[in-house]
Amino acid sequence: MAAPSPAPQPPTVLELRQIHVPGRGQPRLDGVSLQLRPGERVALLGPSGAGKSTLLAVANGLLSPASGQVLWRGEPRARGARARRRQQARIGTLWQDLRLIDELTVQQNLNCGRLAQWGWPRAVLNLLLPLETNACRDSLRQLDLDPDLLEQPVSLLSGGQRQRVAIARLLRQQPTLLLADEPLASLDPRLAKELLELLLLHGQAPRALLLSLHRPDLLEGFDRVIGLRQGRLQFDCPLAALQPQQLQALYGESAVPVPHPLP
Amino acid sequence: MKPAAPLLPLLPALVLLPMALVLPGLLHGGGWELLGAFAAAALHPSGDPLVLGSLVGGLGTTVGMALLGWAMSLLLGVPLGLLSSRLLWRSLVGTALPAELVRRLLAVPRSIHELIWGLLLLQLVGQQPAVAVLAIAIPFGALVARVVSDLLDALPERNLQGLLAAGTPAPAALLTALGPPLLPGLISYGGYRLECALRSATLLGVFGLGGLGNELLLTLQSLQFRELWSGLWLLLAVMLSLEALVSALRRRWSMPARLALERRQPVGRSSRELVLAAAALVPLLLGVGRALAVDPAALLHWQGLPPLPAGGWQAALQLPWLALAGQTVLLTGLAAALAVGGAPLLLLLVAPWPWGRWLLRLVWALGRLWPPPLTALLLLFLFKPSLWIAALALGFHNLGILGRLLLEGVEAAGPEREDALRSGGSGARLALLYGRFSGLARSYLAYGAYRADVILRETVVVGLVAGTGLGSQLRESLSAFAFDQLALLLAAYALLTLLGEDLSDRARRALLRP
Repeated sequence: MAAPSPAPQPPTVLELRQIHVPGRGQPRLDGVSLQLRPGERVALLGPSGAGKSTLLAVANGLLSPASGQVLWRGEPRARGARARRRQQARIGTLWQDLRLIDELTVQQNLNCGRLAQWGWPRAVLNLLLPLETNACRDSLRQLDLDPDLLEQPVSLLSGGQRQRVAIARLLRQQPTLLLADEPLASLDPRLAKELLELLLLHGQAPRALLLSLHRPDLLEGFDRVIGLRQGRLQFDCPLAALQPQQLQALYGESAVPVPHPLP
Repeated sequence: MKPAAPLLPLLPALVLLPMALVLPGLLHGGGWELLGAFAAAALHPSGDPLVLGSLVGGLGTTVGMALLGWAMSLLLGVPLGLLSSRLLWRSLVGTALPAELVRRLLAVPRSIHELIWGLLLLQLVGQQPAVAVLAIAIPFGALVARVVSDLLDALPERNLQGLLAAGTPAPAALLTALGPPLLPGLISYGGYRLECALRSATLLGVFGLGGLGNELLLTLQSLQFRELWSGLWLLLAVMLSLEALVSALRRRWSMPARLALERRQPVGRSSRELVLAAAALVPLLLGVGRALAVDPAALLHWQGLPPLPAGGWQAALQLPWLALAGQTVLLTGLAAALAVGGAPLLLLLVAPWPWGRWLLRLVWALGRLWPPPLTALLLLFLFKPSLWIAALALGFHNLGILGRLLLEGVEAAGPEREDALRSGGSGARLALLYGRFSGLARSYLAYGAYRADVILRETVVVGLVAGTGLGSQLRESLSAFAFDQLALLLAAYALLTLLGEDLSDRARRALLRP
C-alpha cells in the first residue's frame, strides 16, 4: 500500500516523463509528459493515428519507450519477475476486443484476474473446479450481472454481458489504474453509454482512469481532457476549461465532430 | 470435475506417471558411458572426407528415393482419389456405390506401413532401388487418394452439376469445377507428404533398403558415434531446409496451414508459378531416376513363393494372436499419449525463457529425424528390451512431429489474449496456458487423434527392434519366409488399423463439433 505522502498533492498513479517512441517517418510519441492522480478520470482525445494507442501501450507496460520515464505509483518498472507481475496486476486494461477466453466459463474468466497472485496449482485447479465463488459472485453483482451466470461459457453471453464480465475481470485484479483503448468504438450508442458509465463509476478514487476516444462527443463525467495530435500533446486541461477552438485545432478543419455543445 | 479446454492437451501427459514408476526398474545398470560418449560426439562429428563422402552419397540416395516415391504417390493418389470420390460418381453416373467400393479396396494398401511393403517387396523381387520407391508410393498413394476424395466430397455439388447441365464435357467440367478449390488443400498436403517421404526413406534405409539409414544403423552398431553424428547433422540440415522450403511455398501460394481453422483465399495470382514448379519437377525426377538406376522392368522378375509348411494354416493360427494384438494396442496408446501430451507440457515448461523455444525446436527436429528403431537401439544401451522402451522411442519421434505442429499453431494464434493476461500480471506459463492453449485445444487433440492412428501403423517399426507386438512376430515370419503366417499377420494388422482409423475418425469428429 502506498504510504501517505507528505507532499501537498496526492502521489501519482501514473506519470509519463518526456516519452519518445520512434515510428516510420514521424515519431509515434514525441516528448509526451503527463500525470494521473487518484480519482482523476481522464479522456485522451485525438484523430486516428495521433498516437493514442501507443500512449496507452506505454502506460500499460506492453511497450517500452525509446527514451523518457514511466512511473507507476511513483516507481519505475520493477526489476524482478515477481515484483514486476505485482506491479502489472495494479494496471487494469480494458481491451477493445475484450480478450475474454471464449472456451472458459464466466467464473474461470473472472479468476484470470487473480493469476498474478496465484501459483501454478491454483491456476490449474481453476480449470477443474469453481474457485473463489463468493468473490466472483460479488464482482458480478457489482456490475449488475446475475450471479447465476458464473457457470455459463463466456461464448454464450450477449455483447453487453461480455463487456461487463471483462470489467469484472479487471476489477478482480484490484487495479489502481484503469486503462481503456477506444472502448466505445464499434458499439451501438446504448451499449457505449452504458459502458462509459460503468468505467466512470469504477474509475473513481482511489483509482484513476485513462480512456482514449476517437470522437469528442461523450465527454460528460470526465475530470480532465488530453489532446494528442501527431504524437505530441496539444492540450491537457480540466473538462470545464476546454475550448471548442482547441478541439477544432486537434481534428483539423475538415472534420470537426463536435455535434453537441460542450458542457 | 470436468477439465476445461486449456488442460485437455495436457491430460495425455499423465502417462508420464506410470512411466516414471516403471522405467527405473528396467535399467540394466550399465550403458551410461556409452550414452555419454554418444552425446559428447554430437559436438565432435567426424570430418573425415572418406566418411563424409559415403554419407553424402547415402543421403543423396535417400533424398532421391523420397522424391521418386513421393512423386509416384501423387501420380497414383490423385486419380485414385477422383475414383473414390462420392461426389464425382454421383454427378457422373448417379450413384456413389463405385466410390464406396474403391474406398474399401484402398483401405488395404493404406493400412499397411511402408516398411512392411518394403520388406515384402524385398523378399519378392530382391534388393534394388525401385523397391524403396514403390514401398513409399503404395501406402502414400492410398493416403493421398483418401485426402483427395475427402477434400472433393467436402465441396458443394452444385458447381459441377451446373456445368454438366449446361452440356460441358465431363473432363472439362471436372477440371473447372473441382480443380481450383481442390488445389490449395492438395498442395499443402502434398508438401507435408514430401516431408513424410524423407522420413520414411531414411527409415527404410535402416532396414537395408538403401541410402543413409543403413549407414546410420551400421555406425551405431559399431559404436562409431562421431561418424553417426556427421550423418545425423547432414540429414538434419536437409530435413530442415526441406521443411523451410515447403512452408515458404505454402505461405507464398497462401495455402492453408495444417492446424489452420479457417481457409485462406484460393490460389489464383500464383498459378503461373505453380505450373512452372510442376514443369521443373519432371526433368528433376527423371534425372534422379537415372542417377539411382531405377529399373522398372526388374520389378517383374519375381522369386517363387516357398511351399506352405507341412501343418498348413493350423500352425499359423497357433500364434498368440490376442497377446500380440493387445501389445500392439498398448504400445500405440502409450506412444500416442506421450507424444500428444508431451509437446504442450514441454512448451509450457520452457515458456519463460526466450531461448527455450529454440532448444525445443532443435530437440523436436532431432526427434522427427531419428528413425524410431535407432532411438530404440540407443535406449537399449540403458534399458532392458520391453514394450515401454518401444513406446518411448515411438513417442519421441511423434513428439517431434506434433510439437512442431503445436508450435506453428501457437504462433499463428495471435498474441492478443496472451498479452492481455500478461499485462494483467500473470506469468509466462499461465498466460500461454490460458491465453493460447484454450483456443488450440480441440484442433490439436483432433490432430492428435489422427496421429494416434498413424502411430498404430508405425508400431511395426519399433516392434521389429524392441521385440513386442505384431511387429516382432512379423519380423520372425519374414525371415522364416513363412507366407501363411505373413498373410495372417498382415490381415491382422490391416484389421487393427482400420478399426483404429474408424475410432480416430469418430474422436476427431467429436472434438471438432462446434
